[in-house]
Amino acid sequence: MVALLLALLLAAPARAQDQALVAALSTQEVRISTAFTGEAIMVFGSTDQPIGPGGDEILVVARGPTRPLVVRRKVKALVFWVNGPSARFNQVPGFYAISGTRPAWQLLPEAIRQENGLGLDALPLTSTGSRSPAFRAALLELEKASGLWLEDAAPVEIRGGRLFNIAVPLPATVPTGDYRVEVLLVRSRRIAAREEMSFRVERVGTADRIADVAEDHAFFYGLACIFLAALAGWLGSVLFRRD
Amino acid sequence: MQVYLPIAGISVDAMLLVGIGFAVGWLSGLFGVGGGFLLTPALILIGIPAPVAVASGANQTLGASVSGLMAQWRRGNVDPKMGGVLTAGGFVGSLAGVQLFALLQRIGQVDLAVSVFYVVVLGTVGGLMVMESVRAILRRRGAVRRRLHEHFWMHGLPLKMRFRKSRLYISVIPPALAGFFIGVLSAIMGVGGGFMLVPVMIYLLGMPTAVVIGTSLFQVVFVTANVTLLQAVQVGSVDVVLTLLLLLGGVIGAQFGARMGTKLRGEETRALLGALVLAVALSLLWGLVRRPDALFAIGPAL
Repeated sequence: MVALLLALLLAAPARAQDQALVAALSTQEVRISTAFTGEAIMVFGSTDQPIGPGGDEILVVARGPTRPLVVRRKVKALVFWVNGPSARFNQVPGFYAISGTRPAWQLLPEAIRQENGLGLDALPLTSTGSRSPAFRAALLELEKASGLWLEDAAPVEIRGGRLFNIAVPLPATVPTGDYRVEVLLVRSRRIAAREEMSFRVERVGTADRIADVAEDHAFFYGLACIFLAALAGWLGSVLFRRD
Repeated sequence: MQVYLPIAGISVDAMLLVGIGFAVGWLSGLFGVGGGFLLTPALILIGIPAPVAVASGANQTLGASVSGLMAQWRRGNVDPKMGGVLTAGGFVGSLAGVQLFALLQRIGQVDLAVSVFYVVVLGTVGGLMVMESVRAILRRRGAVRRRLHEHFWMHGLPLKMRFRKSRLYISVIPPALAGFFIGVLSAIMGVGGGFMLVPVMIYLLGMPTAVVIGTSLFQVVFVTANVTLLQAVQVGSVDVVLTLLLLLGGVIGAQFGARMGTKLRGEETRALLGALVLAVALSLLWGLVRRPDALFAIGPAL
């Protein structure tokens, strides 16, 4: 992998010389097939000045497609625990990962960090419904626990002073859609250069076809489920009859 | 071996699903029931979202019941007219049940409702079964024969119809109502409802036991088919990959279970089944009463 990265980077030296930052992704497409169990996407690149303490710093942010979510709190009603008050968050990234050579809060002033949404606590999450800040905190906790939101899971690795790379792990539950990856070059507590890239997560093969048919032709999908289940039940009883 | 379930949107160990299918199939073969009431809670337990567990559970019950229905039909043990009335009630019931399910999903109470339905229905049925069979075991010798045909208020209802196979001339209202309620339960719990329908047919409708199993399978197959279709269209939660993996284990397990079932006595079997049903109800009740590990939960906004 490292050899491949080096080869790719050496292949583009001309670009690297007149740009402060060059970055690339290991793939433009993550395919979810029926055997999908998660995947890591490599972000790598180089800078024109040495990276490391006292020099340049690198931040890598990956953002997935947003979707509306509801966070509910369980409350005790008589003897049962039931879903009680809820807060609706309209634009929740389905995936968010940030890593740097050092944590973002050490590299950038608070204002710049908030403005650019760098860090889980800087995500612009607006909610309707219950106003309690506990809902936002719970959303953060749950997304972190599911592996869909990552903050400084592993630092960006530096090789040979000017090359950097990081593996962003996508869990099996990663949502489909378009993802944006931003690589930021931080120089003297300012964002000196940024490179934006994108990749797609899509279902392919059988998994994709099943999900598509289920969504677009729900009626025929339902009929097919009935038919397949009946066929499987009947075939099974013929094949495995033990009398 | 991990497999990605396209509708549930998660990866699960395929062998685990086949294993659950086998265990449930084995128990259902042993006791002669569909096993949906064990399957749905088991799926929720391993992390399948409740709507997918319910819809795919109904779909699986359909597959598991088809071969039984065909065998019973060949032996002439199905009363198609009675089955038709039950199914008509079941269609309306499952239609109402799926609407209720969609409503519960919008207000975020699906998990609670599924659990409460399970606790109430299984608790009642399991309790009655255990009591009944314990009583039967205790007075096995000096048993009082139940009269074959008893007349009570039910027989005064209008809209009488002749059910030749069942040797009955009764109003269509009780079977249609029974079908309706079991349709509702089928839609919300993802079960076939055979474990409730059989006692209703024997004790309430007074049908001869020979046609009870076949006719209940008739109703179960058509109503679960209807639930599958409605859930697929309205909720979009039927996962065919999940269903087929469960069926793979289920049909094999059912054959083993059925063979063992012939070695058990009727009362003992029913007492065991009752205990199993009660155990599932109690464990779900515990899940509702104990303080949850996570007070907050996220769900899709609808």
